[in-house]
Amino acid sequence: MGKTLSDRELEQALTEIGERLPQPTRDMWPAVRERIDKRRARSWWAPVVPRGLLAPIAATLAVLLVVALALTPDLVARAAEILGLRGIQIFRVTATPSPAPTTGAVVTFTGQRAASVEEASRVAGFPVRAPTALGTPDEIYVDAAPVRITLVYRSRQGMPATALPGISALVVEFRGRLDQAVVGKTAGPETHLESVPLNGGVATWLSGQPHQFSYFDPNGNFQAETLRLAGNTLLWEAGGITYRLEAQVTKEEAVRIASTIP
Amino acid sequence: MRTDSLEGRPAEDAVLVERAQHGDTDAYGELVRRYQALATRTAYVITGTSAEAEDAAQDGFTKAYFALDRFRTGAPFRPWLLRIVANEAKNRRKALGRRPTVDLSVAEDRPSGDTALSPEAAALAGERRELVLGALRKLREEDRLVIAYRYFMDLSEAEMADALGVARGTVKSRLSRALVRLREVASGEVTRDG
Repeated sequence: MGKTLSDRELEQALTEIGERLPQPTRDMWPAVRERIDKRRARSWWAPVVPRGLLAPIAATLAVLLVVALALTPDLVARAAEILGLRGIQIFRVTATPSPAPTTGAVVTFTGQRAASVEEASRVAGFPVRAPTALGTPDEIYVDAAPVRITLVYRSRQGMPATALPGISALVVEFRGRLDQAVVGKTAGPETHLESVPLNGGVATWLSGQPHQFSYFDPNGNFQAETLRLAGNTLLWEAGGITYRLEAQVTKEEAVRIASTIP
Repeated sequence: MRTDSLEGRPAEDAVLVERAQHGDTDAYGELVRRYQALATRTAYVITGTSAEAEDAAQDGFTKAYFALDRFRTGAPFRPWLLRIVANEAKNRRKALGRRPTVDLSVAEDRPSGDTALSPEAAALAGERRELVLGALRKLREEDRLVIAYRYFMDLSEAEMADALGVARGTVKSRLSRALVRLREVASGEVTRDG
């Protein structure tokens, strides 16, 4: 050869190389989707303890360790051992972080305020229904992404207070499909689960210390929900909408309230 | 609250991005299918092997998905995605400790583009490609990428600036410098071989 390339020849060669670069051999979306689901699952289940509680728990542990060391000086020599197995025992006996750290705090909700159930339905794109047994909701919030309606019931006569100050009950509604098996597997070890009949269908009653459950969104994706009240919860599905009622009431009372949804 | 696009008319990137931001995974799937070839080629220019490139592209798409909430509304999606994919490919290459010269090669058994050429002309074009490819392999990553965006991906100057993360005004000078270097390396080959 022995000659340099002209601009045109160089550009031509580059264009031709571009045309010959390898193409992906198959549809990438299934593989990407799998990676997305995997990463999402990881980020959901990693924080078993709510992030806000991590610092207090760590601080409590540190204090307990110091106290233990001070009280029993002979243990200092076996510090490694304390930090290992014994540390866990101290934690188990003494450090039981309060599940209701919000007492006294002002409860805030995300999303936009809606003036009425009708307005909320319009924004949400599905008919929002409120149980008549609780009367008119005091506040309604609409979250946009994903769409989720929260009906807030402030003090209601005859209803015990919940862990959230000034709130008797919450009803949350969103598009989604409940899978009993999935709810059971993801509800956490301290949650008691029970299937109860409701309006000819089946609802799930979570009691004890429920923190989380999972459902499938309209796109078939697995989504985790964190319960706000960490108390008694009734979950059910009707017409493609998942409903949940959170209130410190008995199972029978929850079912009665739920059955008053028009 | 889903607004579906009119039937038969592909949705704009911006529409798909917004839907994906609101949890519509299928909308993101459409974006993946739309840009998987572009993403893979971009990664390939850096990694040099198809398998690595596809893997980097898939990781890039995954990262981009989780970064969607930081995506500026109204900004073009394509260069934003390519920037993430290129980064992913660079990290991968660094992690593998591979030497900067990559095993960039192209399929030569595809005569489709050369059918109009005489056998001699086709052979000459093939030689030129080999020569330029050999020179490309020896270029720095940045030079290779700017050339690839212009000639392999056909990006506009604005898109190139976004994808490279540089000011729009510097794209032109970067590209011409890269081409000068490419030519230098290529002609070096010519003298030695000839």
